[in-house]
Amino acid sequence: MGELTVFLVLLALGYGAGTLAEKHHYRSINKREEQLLHLPAVTIKKLDLDETQIERAVMVVGSVVISVDYFKRLLADLRNIFGGAVKSYESLLDRARREAILRMKEKAHGAAMIVNVRIETSSIGKRAFKGKLGSVEVIAYGTAISMKSS
Amino acid sequence: MQFVPRQPDRNVNITPTSAIREFLVLAGGLMAIVLVLYLLLGFAVELLIPRLSPRFEQVLASSLLSKTMSGKIDAEKSQKLQSLLDRLQEHCARLPYHCTVKVIDSPRVNALAAPGGTIIVFSSLLDELSSENELTFVLGHEMGHFFHRDHLRGLGRGLVFMAISTALFGPHNQASRLAARFLNLTELRFSRQQETAADHFALDVLHCTYGHVGGALIFFKKLASMHHSRYAGVSFFSSHPLFPERMQDLQDYCRQQGFHNGRVTPLPEGW
Repeated sequence: MGELTVFLVLLALGYGAGTLAEKHHYRSINKREEQLLHLPAVTIKKLDLDETQIERAVMVVGSVVISVDYFKRLLADLRNIFGGAVKSYESLLDRARREAILRMKEKAHGAAMIVNVRIETSSIGKRAFKGKLGSVEVIAYGTAISMKSS
Repeated sequence: MQFVPRQPDRNVNITPTSAIREFLVLAGGLMAIVLVLYLLLGFAVELLIPRLSPRFEQVLASSLLSKTMSGKIDAEKSQKLQSLLDRLQEHCARLPYHCTVKVIDSPRVNALAAPGGTIIVFSSLLDELSSENELTFVLGHEMGHFFHRDHLRGLGRGLVFMAISTALFGPHNQASRLAARFLNLTELRFSRQQETAADHFALDVLHCTYGHVGGALIFFKKLASMHHSRYAGVSFFSSHPLFPERMQDLQDYCRQQGFHNGRVTPLPEGW
């Protein structure tokens, strides 16, 4: 009985806190993406640019670690039994990717664009060593290019 | 044409879904599967029991018994009980088993029917008996469980695993040992109907042996009073502690069959 109570409390807490945090995060992401819309971040490597016009080219990195909540983890475990799209992790990774890119863009303050953008992800935390998902880290990096003001 | 940067209309990377609904569907599905398996196992037990030969049962029992028999076996008392049991089996209780009885030193007031036709009697139960008739009733009751094969049913769903592992790998292997760990013979539980049927069997044996059923009710009264007062560990017949109802049932059965009371035979000398 005691174990069941703990389980249910964790489940409710995971769902409540997880949903709240996610909503809050998405609001912040949407707002900041809107603000940084003018700064293109692309995967292209070579640009047809007049190199003499480039003032600076620096590497910018943005990284974020997001943990999965108890409810989502249980949902994913259940999904592991039956198979199919693990929908509960989709928003987790979507948030992490977008947050990492945002942080990278914020780092590239004043740049005209970020080229050669790469996104990488890894699973970290104690559970990750057991082949499970602990927390997810997403790192985004690229080359921020600032142009000479003409 | 001028490029105007803008946000995408909708996020294709997230499936619009209700997490609660998904959880309920998945957890519900899992529970349904477990439930179905559990029910199927229950049917499997009923299917399996009539098909288990007493010989296979003996093989099966060997891995189960070693755990319960860990107490000290009283060879002398076992011998005495065995001779009584042999007599009963020869004349009054025809069973597909050759039953053996083992007396184990233990403060528990209990007797049990173990797979393979072994009756285990704990020594404290013997101390409570005052006549041979009572002893016959106890043995008859356990033989009644063998007759109806309740002792296998009492093992429950674990029996299926046990039977499969024994059939595949023999009696003493890791899988059987693991299954045996979940099957505790001393915690066998019988239903009321099973106990009643075993009581009737015991009365039949008693009547057949002595020509009357004297001793049975005395024994019950003794157990009932013990149950309430002295011992916490009276577990013989304890799967339903409704002694008065059970005694009433015994009396009804005796009346129906025309059994009557008689003088009890004392226990043999030097008991």
